[in-house]
Amino acid sequence: MNLQIIGQMAVSGALMGMVYALIAYGFQLTYATSKSINFGQGELVMVSAFFSLTLLDLGVPFWLMVPGGLVFGALLGLLVERAGVRLALEEKSEGWVLLTIIIGLFFFSAAENIWGRDDRPFPSPFSPDSVQVFGVDITRQEIAVAVGVLAIMGLIEIFKRRTLLGKAFEAVSADRDAAELMGISATRTVMLSYALSGGVAAVAGILVSPITTVGPTMASALILKAFSVAVVAGLDSGFGVVLIGMALGALESLASFYIGSGWREAPGLMLLILALAVRPTGVFGKAGIRKV
Amino acid sequence: MKRLLLIRGAELALFALLATVPLLVANAYALALLTLLAIYGILLIGLDVTVGYLGQINLGHVAFLGLGAYAAGIGVTRFGLGMPSALAAATAVGLVLGSLLALPALRLEGPQFALATLSFTALSFTFLNEMEGLTGGAQGLSLTRPPLFGHDLSPQGFYWLCTVLLACVWMIMRNLLSSQWGRAIEALRDSPIATDAMGVGVYRHKVAAFALGSALGGLAGGLYAFNFQYLQPQSFVYDLMVILLMGVVLGGRKSLWGAFVGASIVVLLPNLLSNRLIFQAVSGLGLLMALVSGIRGLLRKTTRPFQALAPIVSMGLLVGGGLLVANTEDWRKGIFALMLFSVVVGLPEGLMGFAARFLVRLFRVAPAPLPAPSSLDEVLPSRPADGSTLLELIDLKRHFGGVKAVDGLSMTVRSGQIHGLIGPNGSGKSTVVNVISGLYPPSSGRMLLRGKPLPLGSLYRAARSGVARTFQNLQLFSELTAIENVLVALNGVYRSPLPLVLLGMARAEERHARADALALLELMGLKDQARTKAKDLTYGAQRFLEIARALARRPDLLILDEPAAGLAHPDVLQLIETIRRVHQRGISIILIEHHMDVVSELCTVVTVLDGGRVIAEGSPEDVKRHPKVVEAYLGQTDRDREAAAPDAPPLPA
Repeated sequence: MNLQIIGQMAVSGALMGMVYALIAYGFQLTYATSKSINFGQGELVMVSAFFSLTLLDLGVPFWLMVPGGLVFGALLGLLVERAGVRLALEEKSEGWVLLTIIIGLFFFSAAENIWGRDDRPFPSPFSPDSVQVFGVDITRQEIAVAVGVLAIMGLIEIFKRRTLLGKAFEAVSADRDAAELMGISATRTVMLSYALSGGVAAVAGILVSPITTVGPTMASALILKAFSVAVVAGLDSGFGVVLIGMALGALESLASFYIGSGWREAPGLMLLILALAVRPTGVFGKAGIRKV
Repeated sequence: MKRLLLIRGAELALFALLATVPLLVANAYALALLTLLAIYGILLIGLDVTVGYLGQINLGHVAFLGLGAYAAGIGVTRFGLGMPSALAAATAVGLVLGSLLALPALRLEGPQFALATLSFTALSFTFLNEMEGLTGGAQGLSLTRPPLFGHDLSPQGFYWLCTVLLACVWMIMRNLLSSQWGRAIEALRDSPIATDAMGVGVYRHKVAAFALGSALGGLAGGLYAFNFQYLQPQSFVYDLMVILLMGVVLGGRKSLWGAFVGASIVVLLPNLLSNRLIFQAVSGLGLLMALVSGIRGLLRKTTRPFQALAPIVSMGLLVGGGLLVANTEDWRKGIFALMLFSVVVGLPEGLMGFAARFLVRLFRVAPAPLPAPSSLDEVLPSRPADGSTLLELIDLKRHFGGVKAVDGLSMTVRSGQIHGLIGPNGSGKSTVVNVISGLYPPSSGRMLLRGKPLPLGSLYRAARSGVARTFQNLQLFSELTAIENVLVALNGVYRSPLPLVLLGMARAEERHARADALALLELMGLKDQARTKAKDLTYGAQRFLEIARALARRPDLLILDEPAAGLAHPDVLQLIETIRRVHQRGISIILIEHHMDVVSELCTVVTVLDGGRVIAEGSPEDVKRHPKVVEAYLGQTDRDREAAAPDAPPLPA
């Protein structure tokens, strides 16, 4: 019985963790091209989810809403890049940390005023009954999360490897200056990475909202976990985020069960600080050599 | 002197004003605002240490405010502490937890550092919220302000206490930041590698600075607790953190005045938002400023279009939104965001930075004259060159993955020599230097300096044991002036204990140090450019400044890594002359150089490397004719190949 509860907790936690992994993957995309990440990514997830909910309320069918939300997220990503990141990158400063925090704050305030401060339910297209796997109940929505996360990450990886634009993306990630000399516009590639990252954030929002509901506070709850996953795995770790995300999700759900729900984030946060101290480049990250 | 008087005068006037206001205005609300201003002043000065001086986005400061507040609150309610000991406890909590967080977090840079501190804020909130037995949890913690030395403080008395503490913090920080210690912190932002290589530990300075800032956060927290007499974990979260950051950035980073201005803005913000008229006036003024400076910048082409337009758009949104929105309070965060965005983009140095530029133009006051340089004999006393073994490398190896950059190298440098190290590109010269100076640990092999093992893999400890180096790719502290660059590295002058430095009683030492530094600049022909920022010096002057800075270490062994690279011919001649003069003072030198004329002119012994091994050693004339050296530089001739034929298989065509 006890073992079964642990299993149940771990599995549903791990499936939630895949959403963190997807948001963390969004960080990787922009970090690869520009060594910058959007500190307001949680707000992007939240605003895109609200927008998608509004589309549904307006009578847009579910399968049309998904691309709609995705495009909206991509547009927000472009806005963040233009307003918050490009100037700092041109000046080679780290001003983008502050600017993306500020833009996130603005999105938060806008969401509070447009959609209200309360959490709202988000409909799921799946029936609420669950499937039993080795005695563990998994809902259809949770399966959809796992499939959706892996599908979008797989699609983007294929895009990066198989298309010309994707190869330009990889070239800028490897060496920005050399890519520019070969006639690839680094600025456009960074824009592309922010648009992709915004789209990924929107998908994460649409996938997670039926489980967690939508509300302004979901931003800060998600962002910290996604950060933890991205950094513990390493900002250039590729699919490593999925493993770390699942582990962190499971740990969190067990901690909230055994220590108390107020403590659910504590083990992950301590793990984050420790992991940073021991391996600043992350579990799956590559360490560089200091050069003079 | 006049400049100093102006600055000190402004500070005195500020504090005199702060002290007398409660006597003139008997308004409880105004007094509450002023008290909060003094508390936030201390808090933001602490935050500015990391955000301004270390240049890192610190999202953990609010946690230290909260932890300090709870330490004082719990100290008073549970343990019956008096006010001084409760404040000391709050400061200590900030200091200790700050060091504990800094130890792992400051190994990180940029976004990772911001993340680590953000996690700390979330973690401390969880702790305060969940440890209900200790903190009262979400219910909050009520306390009453304890008496100070037996006197119950009136609100006015408490305000004066806060102001006095702010004045003390201000004075201590000013002295500290203008000392050797503060200079090191500014230097490490420009080049952490050079800071370590000059024997000034980067990591320890960063940790100490962060811990100090956190201690001030804790102190402010203690005062916060006694001010509100009610604490809730919910007060110390990310939202407040963003406002504090905004205060520092808006006010102006790296400035005590900036922190104070920022604190005033943070304190006044709620009033700004609750009164529609004030809000419209302020946002209108902001738009006007953005328009004027934006259009001026565009016309003079001093700013990028984005930098001019973005603040106008954002202030325009603020003004337009202010007319449309029914209740500005609801849009609090959005309004912060728009204001902060305009300032960060349009006025990156903050209000005080802007004002300072303006004031400097208004009061043209010459800086205090530099002291006369010390005599060179005092700065670099002549040492006997006895030709004994100084540095010994035994079978040194350094591999990077499969690349054997240094592969079993042994060589000896004798005291009082200029020892040349030459070889084609990729022969391992730079790696040897990087291993000796501690940038990389060797893969195997031993290094002895005067018979004692050299510290491995630590620039800082290698520098401390007497090795100083220059960098082929310049690593100057570009935002510091030439004389400050030398002062950072200056070894053996600063001896005053920290408490004296904090009280501003180490001035004589500072004068002495300046005179010494000036003597070294004079030796390098840079005396007239002592006050020029390193980044504004000519390329040649920057190379000489590197040498002056390394000499300030008064090293046993000076390593010059391609000092003539990129120099014009007259500069090369001056370089030769200068190195010779340094050598005459008995300093042993390893010289890496591609200019053979420089090497022939200066070196007594030359070691030639190829493929990470020594292929020849001897006087410059000998090695020039050595067949292996000729081969390494020019390749094999056909005749060489025929001569080598008996023991080597013929090369495939």
